[in-house]
Amino acid sequence: MGRLGVLACQAASLAAVVLAWHVAVRTGLADPLFVPAPATVATALWTTAREALPRLGDTLLKTLAGYALAVGLGVAGGLVLGSRRLVHAVAMPYVVAAYGVPKILVLPWIALTLGLGTSTAVLTGTLFAVFPILLMVAAGVRDVDPTLVTAAVSMGATRGQVSRKVLLPAVLPSVLAGMRVGIVFAMLGVLLAEMFAGTRGMGFLMQRMAMAFKASELFAATLIVSILSIVVVLSLEHLNQRLSRWR
Amino acid sequence: MKILAWRLGILVAILAVWEAVAAPLNPLFYVRPSVLPGALLGMWRVPDLPPLGEHVWLTLQEIAGAYVLAVAAGLWLGFLLGLRRTVGRIYEPLLAALYAVPSVVWYPSLMLFFGLGSASKIAFGVALGFFPIVLSVLAGIRQVPATLVTVAQSMGARPFTVFRKVMLPAMASTMVGGLRAGLALSVVGVLVGEILGSRAGIGYVINYAYGLMMTREYAVLAVIAAAAVLAIDTAGALVEARVKRWAG
Repeated sequence: MGRLGVLACQAASLAAVVLAWHVAVRTGLADPLFVPAPATVATALWTTAREALPRLGDTLLKTLAGYALAVGLGVAGGLVLGSRRLVHAVAMPYVVAAYGVPKILVLPWIALTLGLGTSTAVLTGTLFAVFPILLMVAAGVRDVDPTLVTAAVSMGATRGQVSRKVLLPAVLPSVLAGMRVGIVFAMLGVLLAEMFAGTRGMGFLMQRMAMAFKASELFAATLIVSILSIVVVLSLEHLNQRLSRWR
Repeated sequence: MKILAWRLGILVAILAVWEAVAAPLNPLFYVRPSVLPGALLGMWRVPDLPPLGEHVWLTLQEIAGAYVLAVAAGLWLGFLLGLRRTVGRIYEPLLAALYAVPSVVWYPSLMLFFGLGSASKIAFGVALGFFPIVLSVLAGIRQVPATLVTVAQSMGARPFTVFRKVMLPAMASTMVGGLRAGLALSVVGVLVGEILGSRAGIGYVINYAYGLMMTREYAVLAVIAAAAVLAIDTAGALVEARVKRWAG
């Protein structure tokens, strides 16, 4: 099957899902109080978008702040963790444990100390994103072929040249991979913080819609956030592929 | 030995700094580590908290339910997409797109649909745990050397024998990694669900303590839950190592 055929099948499957959903609501199989019909959601999309877009902007700004912090900390920490043998041996169990602990358990404490505002959401975003980035960068540094470094040094490269010409290109893919994973985690952390202890933002709005049984608005809001994050991740992926071709 | 000493030293240093920083601050917001052991002992009979035993039991049941469903759905879809190449080419990109969505956006809808009871937590645990399992099955199938399958078939092996003797050993270590990640995410899903909105379970008690500003009790509960999660994950790692050794 060609590319077009695959695309057609994908579109047909999505259409079939929407149709089945429509039929399920129409025949009373699904209660419209909990599952609104596709047409209702589509109408709600416009009204919801007007309410949601400023909040979504708010959420995205917090995500960017938390993400920037996580990338800075994660890349720097990952470089140290990956290149210093003793640091790696000592700190790795702690990093892995911190990665493994569900961050939601710390969230009440962050909310308690930083309040219900922006800083709680930003910090939660950072907390969610930093560990995957850190671990991926560290693994990338450790995977750099040591013969490359030895060869460069034996041919008279300076320290700066080694890190710029050998290490950077070798580590870049894992940095980019970490950054791609990190953006979803940062957004997840911000949304979660807004749902748990927010007074603004998209997560707060969605949680309030759920509590108020505004099903069609909630579905529309979920759709908007989902499409947005899919677009962000896919464009990052595209960028990543362009960059790796450039290398 | 030196490494162990460093590790211990760092742990002690963190606790000491935490203790020193938190000591002069308001105990309503900042808990000192030195009060945790005492609070832990008194945990089972705090009059203001709901009795813990049944809540822990409920959470464990929710996790088990979510994980069983996630494994069943994940293995089924993974093998379906991995073995039927056409189906895989159509649906794998859709799956990858869904995976790019920050999972927590599904929770309000699930809560609305399934209510505040256990069902919404199990559903969210399934939604989270399902993805790594599917993805690992797909990756595992890609690792199976096609020539080995062809050779086995041409020597007259039946489909089940091919699966058992050729495919499973080749994909086991990748798959078991996904099953372990799925367990961790199912646990996270159930906990997140309970903390965001519920009437029972350990997450509910944590949120309850937080709401009443019982910071000490909250801290103890969070530490217990974190330790339990790490213990579950360590058990998963042991199983993973065993399977990897078996698969060679």
